[in-house]
Amino acid sequence: MAQSLMRKIAMSNMFVVVGLTRRTSSRSLATGKNLASKKIRNELPPEGEVTKSVFMSQSTDINTNLALEDWMYRNMDFSNHHVMMVWRNEPCVVIGRHQNPWLEANVPFLAEKEITLARRNSGGGTVYHDRGNLNITFFTPRERYDRKYNLELVKRALYRGFGIKSVINDRHDIIVQDKYKISGTAAKLGRLTGYHHCTLLVNANKADLTKALAKREHGIQTTATASTPSPVVNLADMDNKVTVEALQTAIGYEYLRTPALRLDDGGERQILKQRGFQFVNPTEDWFPGLSELKSELESWDWAFGRTPEFTVSRSFPVPAELLAPSKVYSATQELVISMTVEKGLIDDVTLNIPPGLVESGFHGEASVITHLKGKRFTSEALSALEDAMLTRHGDVKKLDDKEQFVAKCFDQVVNTI
Amino acid sequence: MTSIRTLHTKQILGNVPYNSSNIYQRNMMLQRYLLQATKQCFTKHYILQSNIKQSYCELRHRYSTKTKERKYTDRHEWVIVENDIGTVGISSYAQESLGDVVFAQLPDPGTVVKEGDECGALESVKAASEIYSPVSGTVTEKNIDVEKKPALINTSCYDKGWLFKLKLTQPDELKELMTEVDYEKFLKTDVDKDH
Repeated sequence: MAQSLMRKIAMSNMFVVVGLTRRTSSRSLATGKNLASKKIRNELPPEGEVTKSVFMSQSTDINTNLALEDWMYRNMDFSNHHVMMVWRNEPCVVIGRHQNPWLEANVPFLAEKEITLARRNSGGGTVYHDRGNLNITFFTPRERYDRKYNLELVKRALYRGFGIKSVINDRHDIIVQDKYKISGTAAKLGRLTGYHHCTLLVNANKADLTKALAKREHGIQTTATASTPSPVVNLADMDNKVTVEALQTAIGYEYLRTPALRLDDGGERQILKQRGFQFVNPTEDWFPGLSELKSELESWDWAFGRTPEFTVSRSFPVPAELLAPSKVYSATQELVISMTVEKGLIDDVTLNIPPGLVESGFHGEASVITHLKGKRFTSEALSALEDAMLTRHGDVKKLDDKEQFVAKCFDQVVNTI
Repeated sequence: MTSIRTLHTKQILGNVPYNSSNIYQRNMMLQRYLLQATKQCFTKHYILQSNIKQSYCELRHRYSTKTKERKYTDRHEWVIVENDIGTVGISSYAQESLGDVVFAQLPDPGTVVKEGDECGALESVKAASEIYSPVSGTVTEKNIDVEKKPALINTSCYDKGWLFKLKLTQPDELKELMTEVDYEKFLKTDVDKDH
């Protein structure tokens, strides 16, 4: 035991050296003169020469962990060394690279509960994380990216460690008791490296999960990747022996006892060949350039601004007391607000003001709308609208009933309640 | 070229004695010479002409980017160049291994890219895969139809499913890419290794 501990300590010191060996040689080959040299890039060592490590991130900040993942993807060479990273986060919602946060998450709820919204680099759908989730990332060279292998490994660990039977469905979700999803999966493939990550529900706050991912009436139209909602269950509800720590250990050992390319059980002997468990501290000192990656992930321009273009259109019936009195309208008077949002910024707005509202004295002047252009699709746009309406007033610094109604409708559009 | 001998009039005429009895012979001689000279002239002209033509063609082949041959990278992108504008897409093999593409993130016109730069991503049901530019240049157009309907990449990867166009800044880079035949060979070795 003491020996293996020593070994782990020695290995974790080695990691810094090994981990920082960049893939410069292969990058320069990629621009090689002929086909022969290009092919060298794809030469990977045989399975026996590949060692494995389990990295345990010491951060619980989603953007730090995503930055660490990205750093490893960009800078490390996984040809001889496959890595599984385990990490967990404070409450957050993580959307896929090409998703729309306003469509996938309950943005006002997240703001209220101080739940971070983060956009990851991989594809796929939206997930909720808190301390009751275990996240796992599998790094391999692109050619050896094998999602099935990784998921089978998790499945084996669940059975070996806790006797929990699970199946992997055709969407590559891990399912227990025939229908409950415990794990979602996503991946990113680059030129040299590919990674696959998944999250496992152990004892996450299901009430917050449901509210944070609640889908509402929003009137959003987009080509962005849509999530597929599924019924979920916590592993701890199936067996209370399952904790995040226990699961992390079980999957870690399963990973180490399995050879790099085949789903065989190499047992203790295989484990001894590996580099073992290592704590990693995602700081700028350990990973030069990490803070820059992190600040980019944290920025509004990435998390919200990278949303694929969308249009939103909603209609609101005008309350009778706001309509011009003494007039009878044949159809329901509806205010229709439509806008196009590009890179998270309002690009084009159309206010369709019903005759009833115009006749009672509301003017949807062009100046009001032009003020909205370029504003973020948040309450920032609402304030801009209110300001624009107030400036028309001159002395009176209060919105009248009709204006308040329009502002309220607008609020509902941008805050998609 | 070496087979052509240059003949000088003086030389031939000098060999012929200036004699009136020989006038017939001299005429014959002159006639023969003229015939030979004409023949030579034609041959020379013909060879020169064909030489000029050949080198001109070669030059055109080497330096013109008007060749409409599809070139491939080892990352399974293709590029086809016409009038210095390259059209980029992904190969059928890439499209198949990605599976159904659900989202295409393409570079905006005006983006300057270098050979091998990340310039977008294709998201399929399996993963988000980076798109790398096969050549250097400035993006002039992206395929809006593909953005709206990413499935075009699966149904028509060499035609309607192109991704973006760019104005080449380093046309020489095309020489580094694989021809269709090379790429087929490359795929074979690559696939053999995997399985």
